[in-house]
Amino acid sequence: MLKTIFPTLTRFRFTIQILMLFVTVYGGALLGTYTVDRISQALPSLACAFDKQTGDHCILIVNQHQFHHRIGEALAKAQEVTYKVFIPTLISVATFFALFFFLNKAFCGWVCPMGTVQEVVYRVGRKFGRPLHRFNQSNVGRVRPVKWLMLLVLVLGLPLLAGMGTVSNDLGDPYCQVCPSRLATTLLTADTEQIALRTSSGVTFFLGAAGNALFGFIIIAALAVRQPFCRICPLLSWNALFQRLSPMQLVKKQNDKCDKCSVCEKACPMDIHEIGREHGRKAFHEDCTMCGRCVEYCPDDDVIQIKFFGVKLFGSSREAYKKRVKLETPEGLPKNKVIWLTQAKENQHG
Amino acid sequence: MQKKFLLNAIFLAVPLTFPPLALAAASAPTAQPGIAAGEHASHVEPAGAGAAAVKGGMGEGAGKPMAWTAFPTLKTRMSGEGRERRVVTIVPQGIVANSIDAYSNNLKDAKAHRQLVLDMAGARLDKPESGGFHWLAAREEQGDKVKVASTVYFFSDRGAQNPTALFMQPKHELQIIPQPYPREHSRYRANEDWKFLVHFNGKPLANQWVRLETQNGTKADWISDAQGVVTVSIPDDFKKVEQQKAAGAHDHGRRSADFVLAVEHIEGGKSYLTAFNGSYGADAFDQRSLAMGLGFTLLGMIGAAPLLRQRKKQAADTKSAATETAKNKDA
Repeated sequence: MLKTIFPTLTRFRFTIQILMLFVTVYGGALLGTYTVDRISQALPSLACAFDKQTGDHCILIVNQHQFHHRIGEALAKAQEVTYKVFIPTLISVATFFALFFFLNKAFCGWVCPMGTVQEVVYRVGRKFGRPLHRFNQSNVGRVRPVKWLMLLVLVLGLPLLAGMGTVSNDLGDPYCQVCPSRLATTLLTADTEQIALRTSSGVTFFLGAAGNALFGFIIIAALAVRQPFCRICPLLSWNALFQRLSPMQLVKKQNDKCDKCSVCEKACPMDIHEIGREHGRKAFHEDCTMCGRCVEYCPDDDVIQIKFFGVKLFGSSREAYKKRVKLETPEGLPKNKVIWLTQAKENQHG
Repeated sequence: MQKKFLLNAIFLAVPLTFPPLALAAASAPTAQPGIAAGEHASHVEPAGAGAAAVKGGMGEGAGKPMAWTAFPTLKTRMSGEGRERRVVTIVPQGIVANSIDAYSNNLKDAKAHRQLVLDMAGARLDKPESGGFHWLAAREEQGDKVKVASTVYFFSDRGAQNPTALFMQPKHELQIIPQPYPREHSRYRANEDWKFLVHFNGKPLANQWVRLETQNGTKADWISDAQGVVTVSIPDDFKKVEQQKAAGAHDHGRRSADFVLAVEHIEGGKSYLTAFNGSYGADAFDQRSLAMGLGFTLLGMIGAAPLLRQRKKQAADTKSAATETAKNKDA
């Protein structure tokens, strides 16, 4: 019966994504005002604390506050930086890891509301026949370091310097000010407060302007580029630090046919070319969001698998591949739906 | 090659346009909140005996009243060194009490209910292991008059328990209970509606006048409904402060102010006056510009627009995919 309701892994994942979108965006309204204080406050996904109805919020705001108010201030006062200063940070990381342990990067591909929003927008772009822009092997390497810069500078560095008094206190939570999830999730609750720019100081204005422009760019770019913000998201890099420590792993066996195939590379929304060329640990790249599309589109049995404690949860299969490609190309172009704009153009030309 | 250049140009152009625009905007006068001047909180004139009873209760009782209100309040102030020791000092005003009752939202905790000793500086509440919400109350009884001041204090803590049970727990005869109280990272703000429940002996008190007084000078009254619920509109009276400044009045320069909600009820020959105080901030759109926010969002969208252009080769690919679809359908 499950296979009838969820004929493909993508359908199953999309259902989970919509469910988690409601929990992360509207959870407070559905489950109670104080839900956000009770679940984790260290979610490995971009659920936003600025959303007044959120059911939980991500770990990045907690990191920034702790580096700003605890660690940075302790360093500025030249206090003995004992383990007590780090205890709240360690507790947050432990809470984060308690969740991450079970799902690994699936928090990106299955839970994150911003990831879901980008995927929905991308589907709209496919329906309207918009072009697909991909990063090839030569230029994808230029984008990948950006997420580490975002983590080191915006999430950790600037808040630490703000706490030490080296930079303005307005830089206490710089990542939150540029994060598109803050705008996306609050707009989904019809709250326009966050999209309004703060004008109280030059720094907050600049950060807010950058954040708004980035949000606008991402929303439109998502029509033609898969997961545009995920590629530079600092939570992707934060999760990547721990991805080898979780029992949930993406496993790829060596296969001689891979060199002539490369369908998994086309299917991968993060343009991870290593999935087609490598095997073992190298195939499970730091950019992987465990969406499972490479598993779905691998035409050979059990070459790519998602395993939990060594037990296969999902594995590639030829039969599943044949059914999958009838519905959608590896790049996400639907095959059984009319492409509206192209049909209109064909009618015009007779 | 051309596409690569265009993509690179877009990725560079978007961030490069921000600094000059930001500098230009930062040097411009600060945008005014989008609320028309002259819109103030309700100043509904109270009518009926209930309202008269509220007015009659004002100003009585020992203890030096706050300058802005005659109702009893509990002022809280964080003290202690750094963030390692979290201690709150509670100072009652407009009420004479021997102690402060502190109720924790961890009802099973040994420190679920504590009586804090009052000295010259006030009473001290230290953060218990459970942290979370605390209900604070001071009580004064003189003859047939009972006066209660109450407020809520929140110690930041992971996994703080839902305070609803704490709030609904009967503590005094007449109570004003927030429904709900703002959670962490949230607060009362101007131009927002918040519900409060008026209880007497554990039962809703309907058709009861509730008075709001704010530190900025607003006075307003509401009447509770059949379920004892009153919806209070937090007034946007910070403008009043700015107008007073323009007239040469003392500059408080605050974007946060205190408020007190009070209700009085007479039953069984006794007069009960209960007040609940808290603080509220300026309107959500204070020092924010929606127009500029939408403008920069649109700028970003325009920056990404070239990505949507259909190239000839891509159009051909899309058409061939559509042709394949049509063939599949015919088959």
